[in-house]
Amino acid sequence: MNTAPIDGWEGAEVYYTFADKPAVIGLLIVVGVAVCAFTIYRMAWHETHAAKRHG
Amino acid sequence: MNETTPDIEAKIAALEAALGTVNTMNSEIFYWWCTALMLAIHAGFLAYEMGASRSKNALASGIKNLLAFAFIVPTFYYVGWWIYLAFPAGLTIAEGSSAGLPWSANMGPNLTDQASGIFYAAFTLFAATTASIMSGSVIERIRMSGFTILAVCLGSVVWILGASWGWHPSGWLTTTWGLHDVGAAGCVHTVAGFFTLGVLINLGPRMGRYNADGSLNEIPGHNMPMSLIGLMLIVMGFFGFLGGCIIYTADGWLTIYNTPVTLSAFAFNTLMGVAGGMIGAYLMTRDPFWMMSGALVGVISSAPALDVYYPGLAFLISFLGGIIAPKVNDYLVMKLKIDDAVGAVAVHGVTGVYGLIMAGIFASGYANIEGPQINLMGQIMSAAVFVVLGFVPGFGLSYLLKMFGLLRVGQGVELAGLDRVEIPAKAYPEAAVPAFELSPVSPAE
Repeated sequence: MNTAPIDGWEGAEVYYTFADKPAVIGLLIVVGVAVCAFTIYRMAWHETHAAKRHG
Repeated sequence: MNETTPDIEAKIAALEAALGTVNTMNSEIFYWWCTALMLAIHAGFLAYEMGASRSKNALASGIKNLLAFAFIVPTFYYVGWWIYLAFPAGLTIAEGSSAGLPWSANMGPNLTDQASGIFYAAFTLFAATTASIMSGSVIERIRMSGFTILAVCLGSVVWILGASWGWHPSGWLTTTWGLHDVGAAGCVHTVAGFFTLGVLINLGPRMGRYNADGSLNEIPGHNMPMSLIGLMLIVMGFFGFLGGCIIYTADGWLTIYNTPVTLSAFAFNTLMGVAGGMIGAYLMTRDPFWMMSGALVGVISSAPALDVYYPGLAFLISFLGGIIAPKVNDYLVMKLKIDDAVGAVAVHGVTGVYGLIMAGIFASGYANIEGPQINLMGQIMSAAVFVVLGFVPGFGLSYLLKMFGLLRVGQGVELAGLDRVEIPAKAYPEAAVPAFELSPVSPAE
């Protein structure tokens, strides 16, 4: 997989992975936000079930 | 040597280019180390909160604090930095703010931008500080999920909107009213303190904190020395925090409002503020916890005008802050029945307001680059904006979380302790077991 947006370092500016593929960047952001939201959801689930187990 | 004019011009051009590179790198290095130093604030809050908790809640308090940091880093990247660039005029989006959007060319490795990443990092640590301010107050009964949602809202949205309004060269509080708050007492401490107050009202006190007749029971933390060391770490981290409040340029240091300043000015007044606050709080309480909280009070009291105060004045302003804050906390806890476990509303929220007003009195008349000169009314009105900006979302969001049962743990969990119910580890596993039971080997063997 070629993730580089540049062919060489001469004149390079933006060089982060997938910088030339906005759809991939958008997907990475959406997945990152989803990871945060899902972890908070699981946190709440764990709290609720731990409390039930405790009685 | 017979150098021609073109040779000399070429050398000068090369030297100028090299100097520009060095200046850019110096700027990066400066904020890199400020950011690293600010991490001490979080190490400090971690120790301070765990120490202020009873041993049955020590790890839960620690995890809660760590989660706030972990969640604010990405969420501030996704939205926080953009908010700062977007809203200095109020609620209209500023031109050029798209540089702060997470898909922008500036928000990642870019050889033509050596500023965005390092400023994002420093501001992220400010953001995490706001969440840590709330974190200590709500220990021992808040749900971690509810807390994390509140921390993200405060750290990645609310305070940074305040920073855009009042801690930005073109922020409307400065350009309209002349606000001066170089050390971020308003957007960080006042906003976080009053956000916390809104949350505490909905959260309610810890079980057993108040008797039926309204009288108060002390709930001491399990490790005061840990809390004291934590508070000292926060003071140390403040040198990174306040360093990050200064703009490094090729022509010298500037405040966030582009007025000239020196690191020396900050050094004088930060130290004198720390000492003044400690002495004031000691005089008032004799309590080591409050004495070290007084150090924070001292910094915050002088923060708005660290750049211009005479150090002897900063000492006295902070001393008075150290006298006032414990009394304000007593009023909140005893009269209003607000169970603030670490006094954050008084130490950060109320002291931030106090510091802003003091700057209006004692720094009045100094010129701003944009907007009117520093004045008392401007400082008071700006403080009121920060109070409302913090309190309303803190109260509103915690009210919603309460409605959905996400704000507070159940009574059984609170009685047993959050560590026992929720955490798959023990803070002090040997505490309830005599040592000889763990180690059956006799000394003779």
